[in-house]
Amino acid sequence: MSPMSPSPSSLSRRTFLTATGAIGAMALTACSELTPGASSSDKSSTGPVSTAVPADKITLVVADADDTTMTPGLLAAFRAKHPNITVKRQYTGWDDYLKSINTTMSADSAPDIAQFTSGMQNLVPGRLLLKVGEYGKAYGWAEKFPGLDQITLTQDGKTVGTGDLYGVGAGLSFEGVYYNKAKAKELGLTTPPATLAELEALFAKAKAAGETALVAGNLDGGLNHPFNVLLSAYLTPKDREAWAYGHQSATIVLPEAKTAAETLLRWVDKGYVTPKVNGVSDNDATAAFAKGEGVFRISGNWAAAAVAKGLGEQAGYFNMPPVTAGGKVRTTGAGVYYCVSSKSKNAAAAAAFLDFAASAQAAAVTAKAGFMAPDAGAMPSQSGLIGDVQQGWQTIVKDAGLQPFIQNASSPTMGDTLTTQLQLLVGGKVTPDKFLAGLQTDYENYHK
Amino acid sequence: MTTADRRLTEPARAPVAPRPTERGPDRAGRGGRRTARSGRRRRRAVALLYLLPALLPYTLFSVLPMLHTAYLSFFDWDGVTLPSFVGLDNYRRIATDPQLRAAAWHAGALILFFSVLPICVGLVAAAIVSRRAGRRGTGLVRTVLFLPQVIPLVAVGILWRWVYAEDGILNQGLRAVGLGGLADAWLGSFTWALPAVGLIGSWVVSGLCMVLFLSGTQRIDQEIYEAARMDGAGPVREFWSITVPLLRPEFAVALSITVIAALSSFDLIYITTGGGPGNSTVVPGILIYRLAFGGGAVGVASALAIVLTAVISVAVLVINRLSREAP
Repeated sequence: MSPMSPSPSSLSRRTFLTATGAIGAMALTACSELTPGASSSDKSSTGPVSTAVPADKITLVVADADDTTMTPGLLAAFRAKHPNITVKRQYTGWDDYLKSINTTMSADSAPDIAQFTSGMQNLVPGRLLLKVGEYGKAYGWAEKFPGLDQITLTQDGKTVGTGDLYGVGAGLSFEGVYYNKAKAKELGLTTPPATLAELEALFAKAKAAGETALVAGNLDGGLNHPFNVLLSAYLTPKDREAWAYGHQSATIVLPEAKTAAETLLRWVDKGYVTPKVNGVSDNDATAAFAKGEGVFRISGNWAAAAVAKGLGEQAGYFNMPPVTAGGKVRTTGAGVYYCVSSKSKNAAAAAAFLDFAASAQAAAVTAKAGFMAPDAGAMPSQSGLIGDVQQGWQTIVKDAGLQPFIQNASSPTMGDTLTTQLQLLVGGKVTPDKFLAGLQTDYENYHK
Repeated sequence: MTTADRRLTEPARAPVAPRPTERGPDRAGRGGRRTARSGRRRRRAVALLYLLPALLPYTLFSVLPMLHTAYLSFFDWDGVTLPSFVGLDNYRRIATDPQLRAAAWHAGALILFFSVLPICVGLVAAAIVSRRAGRRGTGLVRTVLFLPQVIPLVAVGILWRWVYAEDGILNQGLRAVGLGGLADAWLGSFTWALPAVGLIGSWVVSGLCMVLFLSGTQRIDQEIYEAARMDGAGPVREFWSITVPLLRPEFAVALSITVIAALSSFDLIYITTGGGPGNSTVVPGILIYRLAFGGGAVGVASALAIVLTAVISVAVLVINRLSREAP
């Protein structure tokens, strides 16, 4: 007998089985309560609302996975403005947050405010998120917050961009091209390039000089950053948003998407991208670039602090160029969104916090954390790399060029699927056509 | 210390009965025959009481969640909204999923790295260490070999990601000896990622196997070895004719533990490759995680977990059956 299967030796087997059986039966009778699906009673709508902040003593519980100084900073500033409101923050690391937030929001002790991330769409049909549209109208959020469509969802939670408003985006992030100024100068590279073709020509020059042109890591799917911005450049905004937001019968099997996939594959095949890119993690790629390896890196403004710290004066930034010179500048981005629990007893105070995120006071906190504030004009001007990034942001806002990541809202499994397919694509295992078909299959499995 | 030792001490702890029998005479004076029966029942009740501290958490945190998972496997549930009963649909879906077939193959291949290899290494190491017992350094060797078992698997994964990286220790070593042409980004290679991850498992489990076998060899009567030596057996002959056959129970334990580790592997792969590149290191554990936490398919994930549990149980059962029969 192995110790893996201990048998109840001194105790009679029958007694043992009876005991376990009784407890098991108890469990099964309680099973109807063991699938804690939300009831269908609609509690997620608000009645008439006002913008008055309650004056009595209130405690707001806030759940988030924001590892920057933004959320704690905003909460502290809000607290200072409303001394009667106590704020309790429940911070969870990103991975654990995604794992637990659906359960947390289903619990009776759900936090009043939660950071909204992809994967939480299921909370909408579960009626666990408060429709904040009425507050939005009362506060005038449409004028204050850019990118509200990313947190506007249909009743079934499957389609983004239409339906009801469930929150606001407090700090926005977007992707662009970082470069090493010293090396660019040495190689005689003229920046910023006006078109994608010019950017590729710079890659070729850097490669010819023996440099890694584009630093990237795809062990965990980091090539989705270049691929997303290439899609932003090539696809029409209509096609892009239809797919990224999960609209019925949308498709990514498009000639423009194929061009984007082929461009990325060509960069890899011509040796512009970090060699053996499938074996390098995205974080390690940022670290290598900040240490001075390579010339260019396509990443988001969240990497600005690390790049600035590593490269100092030599850190440069420009927006991803359009396909044709003078075209609209479009890129991919997301942000830190806050939503309100339908179980919150302090919805008015929670809405006041959401509104506070658009204030000029909040803009200072948000900008300091490396995000773009909703009120772009109120961000304190900064010098150096962060300043360059902020300037890039002004252009994108002007061109209305912020587009969603294709893997965030298209289907719940798209993040994993995109990683898998990108690894297959650049590993030479699938053609661009099969690559796009693979993404589309995942999409259609969900949007049946 | 080791599982084998624990087994030896267990029978001594098991009879909880003595105490009630000691107290028995008090009552025996009053009721004759009836007391004998009620005494037996009382003994059982007391035994159950003793078991309660272990039984209660075990039921609460192992049995109930398992029953709950089995229950959920008959539903289509995203984890938030109301579930709908779908009968055996989830199991049907599992049976036809091509990705799952790949995952099953990978788990099978991992048995080679998690079971076969570590048992061989552990056996040889145990044979060497036990022959040199008492000499200086053997304690150190034992500790060093067992050390990977103590490190959390997440830390192990991160550590080996550095080892396998493009400019990691492994490639640096290869380049230093002029084999730079062989260098690869191991975890990103469609050919090498699975063996690379598997070898991490071998590294972790070998020490455990060695300690298991070591405790086994201590149980073997030294006189058998002496007799063999008198007959002119060398260390190799001793190993094959005495050590290996007499370690049968330890083989069963080692095989059970390592096969379970191979089939239910998750954390190591999640940290190192996440199932990539492509799907080349996807295992059932990774799929369960993806379905339940990312994909919002709790029902299918539960069904897969139940199937995996069943497969592992059968494997362990077979191992124990085979090891019980005499050669």
